[in-house]
Amino acid sequence: MGAFVIGMGKTRFGPTSKPMFELAQEAALDALRDASLQPDEVDAIIVANFLGGPNEGQLHLNSVLAGIFPGVHVPSWRTEAACASGGVAVHQAVLALARYRRVLVIGVERLSGVVGTQLARNIGMAGDAILDVAEGVSFPAAYALVAQSHMMRFGTTTRDLELVSLKNHANANLNPKAHFYLKKVTQGDIDQGPMVASPLRLFDCCPISDGAAALVVSSERSRDDDIEIRGSALASDVISLSQREDTTSFAATKEAAGRAYAEAGITPGEVDLAEVHDCFTIAEIVAMEDLGLCRPGEAVDAIRAGDSGINGRLPVNPSGGLKAGGHAIGATGVSQICEIVLQLRGAAGLRQVPGARVGVAHSVGGVGGTSAVHVLGAVR
Amino acid sequence: MSLYKCPECGRSYRYSVSVCSWCHIPLVEEAWEGATAVAVSEVLVPMLGHEDVPYWCVLARTHEGYNLILKSDVAVSVGDAMSAVSDDTMLSEVGVIGSGVMGSSIVELLLTRGHRVVWLGRTSAGLTRAKVRVLDRLGRTQDEVELQSSAQRLTISNDDAALAACDVVIEVVVEQLQAKKDALRNAEAAMRSDAILATNTSGLSLDDLAAGLARPEKFGALHFFNPATRMRLVETAVCSRTSQQTSLELDRFARSLGKIPVRVAATPAFAVNRALMPLLNEAVRELEENVADAASIDEAVRLGLNHPMGPLALADLIGLDVLVEIMDNLADRLSDETYRPRPLILRMVAAGELGRKSGKGFYEYAK
Repeated sequence: MGAFVIGMGKTRFGPTSKPMFELAQEAALDALRDASLQPDEVDAIIVANFLGGPNEGQLHLNSVLAGIFPGVHVPSWRTEAACASGGVAVHQAVLALARYRRVLVIGVERLSGVVGTQLARNIGMAGDAILDVAEGVSFPAAYALVAQSHMMRFGTTTRDLELVSLKNHANANLNPKAHFYLKKVTQGDIDQGPMVASPLRLFDCCPISDGAAALVVSSERSRDDDIEIRGSALASDVISLSQREDTTSFAATKEAAGRAYAEAGITPGEVDLAEVHDCFTIAEIVAMEDLGLCRPGEAVDAIRAGDSGINGRLPVNPSGGLKAGGHAIGATGVSQICEIVLQLRGAAGLRQVPGARVGVAHSVGGVGGTSAVHVLGAVR
Repeated sequence: MSLYKCPECGRSYRYSVSVCSWCHIPLVEEAWEGATAVAVSEVLVPMLGHEDVPYWCVLARTHEGYNLILKSDVAVSVGDAMSAVSDDTMLSEVGVIGSGVMGSSIVELLLTRGHRVVWLGRTSAGLTRAKVRVLDRLGRTQDEVELQSSAQRLTISNDDAALAACDVVIEVVVEQLQAKKDALRNAEAAMRSDAILATNTSGLSLDDLAAGLARPEKFGALHFFNPATRMRLVETAVCSRTSQQTSLELDRFARSLGKIPVRVAATPAFAVNRALMPLLNEAVRELEENVADAASIDEAVRLGLNHPMGPLALADLIGLDVLVEIMDNLADRLSDETYRPRPLILRMVAAGELGRKSGKGFYEYAK
């Protein structure tokens, strides 16, 4: 049985006063319109969200979102796997095709309503309460330790991190739905960015965004520009870096990537572009290596050579990634697949990767505790 | 942050689960002793519970070969040796003198932080009642095993000799110079010569309190706030003869209790109460002058100053008799009559309306 994305939609990522239901509706209606469907023509709905409870005091989101489709009583549920919530929800949608013909996936998140130390604490809930949070390990601190480990082992430099940031900010300026669209970030801005958790400075960190993204996943292909989900895999690992042997790589990503490539029947060398989970610049480097796009320690060679740019040999995050496209946590994994769909349809506008036929989306929860990898292919 | 190993299959766990998920037999704890820092990040953006920046997150590899992450308040470099001895295990036996509201709250805090506590009070009956109340409160958050451990770590006595093994003793008796001097001198006579003696005074002169002590170099102030289990501030202060080491240890001890120490000069009422007392007194004066009723004054100040509680409700919580002591002391020591308690406070204290603890103050409380 096949799995096809037959509709996609997303809101702009970035701060907004719109409530979750409004963001969710905007993305869902875009996706349904794209699929030429009415709301009552889907058979199940999966809602991906991370911090609805702590940030908005709102759980039971599947029922909340039933309010945007009055009279529809299809099965629905909410999926939470920290920052991988979206990727995990898409994987669930693929699994659910065994029972339901069309599944609507809606990723939605509001982060702008809570600020400062409280928000850092809430996002920190994706780490271990005892092993990480009690020891002050915020998310920047965790990825800073990954960066330090990577630098020590492979000689990665802060300049390499800056190159990732500059590239993704440049890409975001070609993406009208990106958090940093029309906000140019220069070397000067990066130099002036304050240290957050050494060696990560402000522009090594993704912004926190509000936003939503939606997909209609179907077991049947109906049109030429439907995009096939050729591989969908999920893997997990212990939650804290303190529980791991290797802090320069995420075993969950390697595992999920291996399964997704095997299911798709491809090798990493056949990938034309990748949307990877660059919540911090170092995460893009680690992702390129864990996805097998580069050998360990060699992602920086590709980055220094400009290979990961839109017109490079191996385009990574043409959307601007999380880094500059924005990170509306529950929506992010869904949004990455929206980008791959646009690219494989040849509909990505100024940021179109020429001739893209196979794309990979990579969604990570925590510091590699959860990893979802999808391989998508153009059917035409 | 130990490692738990299955003696059968050798799998290791970082959680203190009771059995191996495969072999269903009890795990063996392998405590770590030494470790080396392998990656360090200086964190400059605070998170709830970690407001003081910078701090350092250290990824360390133990001599046994597994990773752990430790927070450090001082700079650490890659390659530095990390020790398993934390501040938490220092000063493990603590004496508390005084069974009032603050004394009880400090005892509760110490028990939740794993300390052995020797609690001194004037009467056995009063202490026993206070102990029951503290254990009752702990029972809301601790399970039976933890509560039993807390009870076992708490000793009550009305004899200063019980303080002989204490690493630190905190005096929390009534806020009167002579009473505190007596309590401190008696405690010191029973204590080890290397132990630290701290007063929880909120306003008295530390030099006056130290006057009768044989070892003023081991003496200083740890001023907790009510309730000590929840309030994150501890004002720390030293007298003119406190040693540098004692001074450092006062802050370190406060930090080991999860508190944020703020060092203040040994001036009357320190920083917080010096600012608070005029506010409370002025709120009482507003009430005297019919600016509004008590609830309205409290609501206005709460909303207008973003305080969690109104001044009159706070006065009730602190206790009006305590306020009188602090305010009189401020007026005397600063030679400024504006600090004197308002007549309404004095009338209420004379009538036995002391606030929450007597069931009536500016508000009425169910007993």
